[in-house]
Amino acid sequence: MLRGVCTDMKILGISAHYHDSAAALVVDGLPVCAVQEERLSRHKNDAGFPLGAIEWCMEHAGLEPADLDAVVFYERSMRKFDRILTSALRSFPHSWRSFPEAIKNSLGEKVWARGIIASYLGVPRSRILFTGHHHAHAAAAFLTAPTERAAILTVDGVGEWSTLTVGHGERRRGGAANLRLLREIRYPHSLGLLYSAFTAYLGFNVNEDEYKVMGLAAFGRPTLADKVRRLIRRTPDGAFRLDMDYFEYQTTAARSYSQRFVELFGRPRNPYEPIDVETDEGRRFADCAASIQLVLEDTLVDIARALQQETGLSDLCLAGGVALNGLANARILTESGFTRVFVPSAPGDAGCALGAALYADRVYLKNPDREIPDHPFWGPPVDGMELARAAREDEQLVEELDDTGLIERVADALHAGRIVGWMEGAAEFGPRALGHRSILAAPHAAEMRDRLNREIKHREPFRPFAPVVPLEAADRYFDLPPNGARLGRFMSGVFPVRPQWRSRLAATTHVDGSARLQTLERGMAPRLYALLEAYGRRSGMPVLLNTSFNVAGEPIVNRALEGYSTFRRAGIDLLVAGPTVVTKRARVPAGPLSEAAA
Amino acid sequence: MATAQATRIDEILRPVHRWVWGDFDRRVRKLIAFSKVEGDGGRDILRAAELTPDPLLRRLYLEHAIDELRHADLFRHRGAALLQVRATNTTSLFNTNPLPGGHGLDDLTIKGEPDYRLLAFLHVAEKAAAGRFEIYRDVVEDDPATRAIFEEILRDEVFHMNYTYTQLARIRPEGYRWQVWQARASRLWKRYLRLAVVTASAMSAVMLTLMYFVVLAPFAVLAKRAARREPTGWTPMAPERGDAPGSLY
Repeated sequence: MLRGVCTDMKILGISAHYHDSAAALVVDGLPVCAVQEERLSRHKNDAGFPLGAIEWCMEHAGLEPADLDAVVFYERSMRKFDRILTSALRSFPHSWRSFPEAIKNSLGEKVWARGIIASYLGVPRSRILFTGHHHAHAAAAFLTAPTERAAILTVDGVGEWSTLTVGHGERRRGGAANLRLLREIRYPHSLGLLYSAFTAYLGFNVNEDEYKVMGLAAFGRPTLADKVRRLIRRTPDGAFRLDMDYFEYQTTAARSYSQRFVELFGRPRNPYEPIDVETDEGRRFADCAASIQLVLEDTLVDIARALQQETGLSDLCLAGGVALNGLANARILTESGFTRVFVPSAPGDAGCALGAALYADRVYLKNPDREIPDHPFWGPPVDGMELARAAREDEQLVEELDDTGLIERVADALHAGRIVGWMEGAAEFGPRALGHRSILAAPHAAEMRDRLNREIKHREPFRPFAPVVPLEAADRYFDLPPNGARLGRFMSGVFPVRPQWRSRLAATTHVDGSARLQTLERGMAPRLYALLEAYGRRSGMPVLLNTSFNVAGEPIVNRALEGYSTFRRAGIDLLVAGPTVVTKRARVPAGPLSEAAA
Repeated sequence: MATAQATRIDEILRPVHRWVWGDFDRRVRKLIAFSKVEGDGGRDILRAAELTPDPLLRRLYLEHAIDELRHADLFRHRGAALLQVRATNTTSLFNTNPLPGGHGLDDLTIKGEPDYRLLAFLHVAEKAAAGRFEIYRDVVEDDPATRAIFEEILRDEVFHMNYTYTQLARIRPEGYRWQVWQARASRLWKRYLRLAVVTASAMSAVMLTLMYFVVLAPFAVLAKRAARREPTGWTPMAPERGDAPGSLY
């Protein structure tokens, strides 16, 4: 039997089987660690059971599975199966192609979550708990945010049946936490799936490239918004419904939009054709992106505004994959009536691992609420010595410096136009690099953006890079609304760059004059903050370009050696991990390599 | 130094390969599939570079991974260039290809594998790929750009084939030939397993499709009727059942 209301409870949260598998460990009401499986398995968007993540969490905390008081899975898998089966029945006979695969997927593994957890971890089945998918999202947003009362809005593709929920939460430090979801919009009517249908139509990968649609939107005009609104109708009660004649995701896994959708918007983009926004076809795709973006934002703002009026609360906690849309988040902040908007560092399914563990701790087990440290660094640490050893073996130039020397050395390099791989402390939990696994560069010239794209990121030219700026200096360079900096804490909002600075922030200013900035508080990442100050003393602007430390198609680096292998094959000039600085040599002596095959 | 040589089976299948590559759609599909396979393989070897304790192997794996990732780019760009010339049937193009191409599809496990096993595996896989790529180079003689890609890749594959063997002999001086035989046997076994999975999957798909039409039809009528009665818009949510946190439903 589960024990309740006791200290030192150890609860493991798990999300798995769809995308972004992750594990998180909560001890005595506080997160101890959390990591996505992809960071350890090195398979991007790893959806498998997160055994590597669980093992790392347990090892990090010095625990054995037998020590766990509860293991919490982030959704109710039989309820999800109910949705899958019911959807197949409702779309009979059109669902005949997808039915065998859906059933095999579900019955092959996914519905047996309890058995899988019990067999992998060897914990008693009575200690395995489940939360609703959107309850886990809600908990990830509300129970980690620095607020005591807030409205809650969760929006994603689909959980069990819910695709969007609204509710509210109340908590008191040392007292009870209460989280209640009031209403839902149910599958197949889904804002997330609507956006994903356009993601697929525009030739991008669903569940991965939605942010490319957002980036492309800035190049277009929402000339097709009225057509998009034919797909999504508002209902009299303020919700929405999709016209399912335009979609196929309920009948097949092969395509999310229907032929009628194609008749309305024209030929879909071939994923292997580059987008050239100077051509008519490229502009059509950009207009399409701008139109779906506008409709998404309008719908979310309306729903958030109604929620604010209903609850009268000033804070909103926002979660679900759609909460990664920084443009929509910024409009919610400025137009919905909420004073503050909180988006966690991992608003997607990975964050549900932490949300599920916290939900079980506060709601099921009724443990007293505790304030969660307001940072995203719950992942594995980096070892500078490991980097130094490997780099020396490869005859690279290695220095080990104290903090002051290192900051000055790196600031000099950045000021000289070098690109720096920056690894520090524990890895971020969530999809954004927030200063512990980042590639840093000078943000001033558009050429730097092109160089990063060409030599490291291999991204589409229409995608912008993000700036990082000290919290205190953010207002000077960016036109932030009140409390906009809070959204910038985890790079969750897109805001205008002040016109006078756009030419000097060319590498991080998008075509529409906006930037998805990170506002950095000194206490969150002191070394990066010091680096920004040192760079500011040289350039006159304490702003750096900050992009995730990975190359296209790979997860963000985790260990020092992963950073090192990325450094060796990409155009990164300097690599920093802890006290170690490695400078790339023009050419490592061929030495034994030429003889290695002889 | 060993050179690329097609296996006897591939030589026998040369007309089949010529037929496969002779069709425009199939050629594009193959190139795109190879791009994915080489990319996956490159990332696997990159992982090996990150995990090996041997400094020389780290550098070799890294060079190898860079080659594979470059091959992925070459295939991808060529596939995209062909698509620019002529549109193709996108639905079939982007379906995953169940056929084996390179080591990316061979379920290679890197973590926990000793270097000698990995080297033996890579040697066998590279040798097979080099032999096959030699045939592909010959059968695309009408397409100089694609042929040039195979020629470039072949040079790399020969280096990969040789360094893996030399290094295997270095780190496993006794029994390295046995390791190569084991890798060959393992490759065959994995092919059998893949075939078994594909067969089982096809059989289950047939059975489930039959069940879909025979058993589900009456339930579908009920489900559709229930769907029509469902209100649109907001649906109130019952409180999450704090008394049943162990329920899957």
